[in-house]
Order: sequence, then C-alpha cells, then structure tokens
Amino acid sequence: MNSPEIESGSMGRVAYARIGPNEDLIQGVEKLCLAEGFRNAFVRGALGSLVDACLYTREGGYRHIAGPAVEIVSLAGEVRAQPDGSLTASLSGVVADPEGQVHGGPFVPGANPICMTFEVTLEEWLPAASGG
Amino acid sequence: MRYTTVDRSLRGIQALPRPRTLIHPGAFNPVRIHSRSAGHGRHIRLSLRPGASLFDAMVDALAIAGVANASMTILGGTFRHIDYCTAPPDPQHRMVVAYTAPIPAGPAYLIFGNATLGKTDAGAPLVHCHAAFCRDDGAPLGGHIIPQTSIVGDRPVPVLVTSLEGFELRATYDAETNLRLLQPQGGGNHELA
Repeated sequence: MNSPEIESGSMGRVAYARIGPNEDLIQGVEKLCLAEGFRNAFVRGALGSLVDACLYTREGGYRHIAGPAVEIVSLAGEVRAQPDGSLTASLSGVVADPEGQVHGGPFVPGANPICMTFEVTLEEWLPAASGG
Repeated sequence: MRYTTVDRSLRGIQALPRPRTLIHPGAFNPVRIHSRSAGHGRHIRLSLRPGASLFDAMVDALAIAGVANASMTILGGTFRHIDYCTAPPDPQHRMVVAYTAPIPAGPAYLIFGNATLGKTDAGAPLVHCHAAFCRDDGAPLGGHIIPQTSIVGDRPVPVLVTSLEGFELRATYDAETNLRLLQPQGGGNHELA
C-alpha cells in the first residue's frame, strides 16, 4: 500500500467563507486556510464573480477574459501544504463572461480579482501518517 | 508562423495583465474574509424532483432532511427550462455590476453547477446558483441560474450536498458593494483582515 501515487486520509473540518471584492481568488483561498488552520483541503463548492479572469493555457501562456463581471460557474481544486512551509491552492474551473460565453482552465495566481463576492466551501483533508 | 518560446521560470510573470482594482460605491470593509467552520460536514445525495423548480426541488427536500444551510454540487442532468442572467456593469452605477433581466435558455442540459442554500434576512430559504449548461442547439453557456423559474427535466438530477452546521448563511446588506450577499453568521468567529 506504499505507492507514491496513493495518499490515504480522511476528511476533517468544513469551512465556508465569503471573500470580498478585489481579493485574489487563489490567494483568498490560501488565506482562508490560514484563518481556519487548514493545511490541506479540497474545494467542495464555490461560486462568485471576478472582475476579469486569467486562465493558463496548456502551452504556459494565459487567456484573459474581460469583465466585469466574469462569473465562476464551476470550480475544482485543492490546497496543499508545501515543504517550504507555504500553502498552495491550485484551482481550475469554468467561467462565463458578461455575454454568457464559457471559458475554462487553471486560474493564474494573483490575476483573478473578485468582483462582488466569492463563496467557497472547503473540506479539510487529513493525510494519514505514512511510513514513507 | 513564428512560435514564441516560453521561459517557464517566467511563467505567470511575463506580460500578465495587471489585475484591476474596482472602486465600489460603499465604504471599504477592512475584513476581507468572513469565514466559519464546523467540526465535520454532513453529506447527503439529493435527487432533484422531475418537474419541480430548482428552488423547490432543493429547498423542500433539504427541509425534510433538516438541512438549512448547505453547499451543493449539481452533478449534471436535463432541465425542461433554464432561466439565467449575467452581470455586466450597472448602467445606473448603483453597484459596479448588476444582474441582467432573466434570459430564457429554453430546454437545456445542466453540465455542472454549484449552489448555496442559506436564508434571506427575513429568514426564508434562499438558493444562489451558478452553472454551466448547454442549450438544445448545442451552445455551451454559463451564468447565474434563476432557481425559481428553472425547471428540472424528466429524470432526477443528482446533487452532492454538504450540510453546514453550527453556523448559518444569511443574506445581509453589504454596504461596500451595495448588495445583499450571503454571509456566514453565528457559531465560532473567524475573521481575517
């Protein structure tokens, strides 16, 4: 059972937050983990709006979707504690622009300011102590 | 055709558009993250009732289960009708953006959605839902779904519900944005400036 591909664990606490306008989506989720003392977490639900959206492309570039407002219609992701003592949220999702057209991809940290509100529910992930 | 080589050490830095900081009509609230937590989440698999409005299908069933506040993932399914809106800049400048009038999408397949169940400031149930969906002509669209007038199709639509207990979600007036917004209240106090 000591496969590097498997991380066993259990779900811990659950947190809900409203993050305010002009805060960054990715860093807002990371700061929510700081507020609640979560080290690892999964997104359980999220909706809200962005001023503009910025998503990575597969080639390492980015796509800029002009708002306001760009609605977040789907979001999946996790927060992971890093060996250097930092926390990293990785979030990807689907957004709808002011014409209702949809775009998707991973959100670029620091480049997705919240427009009116962002509601997010995180469930804490407690990795089992591993021998390896 | 020319290709630009991307230096991965610069990924995310090179020529990223600078985020825009919008000026809202009300006073800046120094508390930016309003959060509450509970010891664990109670999970329910909910089937949305065919023919009911999205609002009734969620609220009626969850009331029976004793769930008053929840975060939900709609796992996809057909809808007889979807009404949605988007939020372009407010022409009257009361807020930075305002919802459009409802746009009828007609019969649609809801691909994926998230919804929050909370309460209005008067205490009545409130559902806030955003989703991606496909119209019958195949066009993929997304936005704010109007739960009262969007009607579940002929088959039950599965929803994963995370019940939030020990605190509540209430739509309260937010002076900064000049809008009623769901905010967590009661229970333990965790606010981050």
